[in-house]
Amino acid sequence: MISFRNVRKSFGEREVLKGITFEVPEGQILFILGTSGTGKSVLLKTIVGLLKPTSGEILIDGQDVAPLTELQMFPVRRMCGMVFQQPALFDSLTIFENVAFGMRKHLPDLTEDKIAARVKECLSLVHLRDIESKKPQEISYGMQKRVSLARTVAVSPRILLFDEPTTGLDPVTTNAINNLILELSRKLNTTSLVVSHDMQCALAIADHIIVLDKGEIVEQGSPADLKKSKQPLVVDFLKEALNAEASI
Amino acid sequence: MLKPLFDLIDDLGGCLMFLGDVFMTAIRSPCTFAEVCEQIWKVTVQSLPTTMMSGFFVGAIMTVQFTMQITTFGALGYLGGLSTSATIREIGPLLIAFLLSGKVGAFTSAELGTMQVTEQIDAVRCLGANPIQEIILPRYLGIIVSSFLLLAAGLVMSIFGGMLLGLLFSGINPEEYVRHIPTIVNRFSIASGMFKCLVFAFVLASICTYKGYTARGGAKGVGRAVVSTAVLTMVGIVVTDWITSLISQAALNVFLGGAQ
Repeated sequence: MISFRNVRKSFGEREVLKGITFEVPEGQILFILGTSGTGKSVLLKTIVGLLKPTSGEILIDGQDVAPLTELQMFPVRRMCGMVFQQPALFDSLTIFENVAFGMRKHLPDLTEDKIAARVKECLSLVHLRDIESKKPQEISYGMQKRVSLARTVAVSPRILLFDEPTTGLDPVTTNAINNLILELSRKLNTTSLVVSHDMQCALAIADHIIVLDKGEIVEQGSPADLKKSKQPLVVDFLKEALNAEASI
Repeated sequence: MLKPLFDLIDDLGGCLMFLGDVFMTAIRSPCTFAEVCEQIWKVTVQSLPTTMMSGFFVGAIMTVQFTMQITTFGALGYLGGLSTSATIREIGPLLIAFLLSGKVGAFTSAELGTMQVTEQIDAVRCLGANPIQEIILPRYLGIIVSSFLLLAAGLVMSIFGGMLLGLLFSGINPEEYVRHIPTIVNRFSIASGMFKCLVFAFVLASICTYKGYTARGGAKGVGRAVVSTAVLTMVGIVVTDWITSLISQAALNVFLGGAQ
């Protein structure tokens, strides 16, 4: 269970998160929707300690992770896997080494054979094969994003954080990644927080949706609840989703 | 009006805290020897030809300048000693450090800055590793060791450059050129030059890793980091050159005082 309790985050004078409070029960998929610059990525980064909230509590299984030091964050980061907005693959390493990186750090007892087998398994999860020896710059952007996802799931995290996982991807890959989020959540009981602009996808796979605007939650509920919402921003998002559906 | 001054103090404080982190990591959880060797190899191979070439010309320039000055005093026989002493003690380390700041400093700053803005450093943290240990420390130590090696290689080449120009420009044969080197260039001159090399390498490594690691704001941020690395390393090298000259002079006084 992840709980945000009155979380605020400021950068200098500018307050980006203005008292965010919500809960995500275990095994659920939460979508955080909002226009650009509303603090969605900031919210995600506070969970893994990449950014510290100015005030408030972030509870993971009852433990407040906000005041933890870098060293104390290690077990929390072992539990949470984050897929970044950009692929964030290490240029100097091969795809194999990229996917194996987290396993070598978080699971030092794994043998090389087991690491190799897990790398292969994770790459096939994202429909990639025979690219282990390539460098990130030798594969396409879409493939890099999928490798990034494989790298994150390789250590079997209980919580998955996705920062716009499908931005810049073709519809087929977008669909594959959305299905993967759903599959991981249903089969492995992984809790997923997905930051996105994609209302259509949120309506299809989310258990709960939060809509952020200017650092505040302006609407939240199940997909069915949101479809009935009169909140102007939600109405705009729904219109976009309907247009996208109609164009297909 | 005072904003640039506050920014400078802020930057200096940030850099000191960053260095504190680097040193604490080096003590508590150092990187592997292989990682440092890989960085030394990369930096040295990348910069050896240009450093050796510039070292050669530094020696050549010094010989030409000294020839013009000492011919009037009929002391051309001391050309090799004087030129080598000045190159080893002052000009060589300074000019070669400038060259390295443009090449190694800018490259490292751009590389780390790009890693920062493309979230690679955040990814390292999320995957359970310490970016200072994994990324910064090997580069930091690699730059210090390889800058030191490159500066030493540049100084050796400067002696050859001086010798060749001594023969071609001043008509001094190599034997004559090197005869007075041991008279003028003593252990203290070499120690002073090496000390400067070490200090410049430290300045270079500290500024470029700090600026790259703290780069923010996309491609523009990386550009800013590279420019400020270039400017700050130049200024840092000149300022530390002045300080090390004072220290060397004081040490020489103590040494000579002790000898008397």
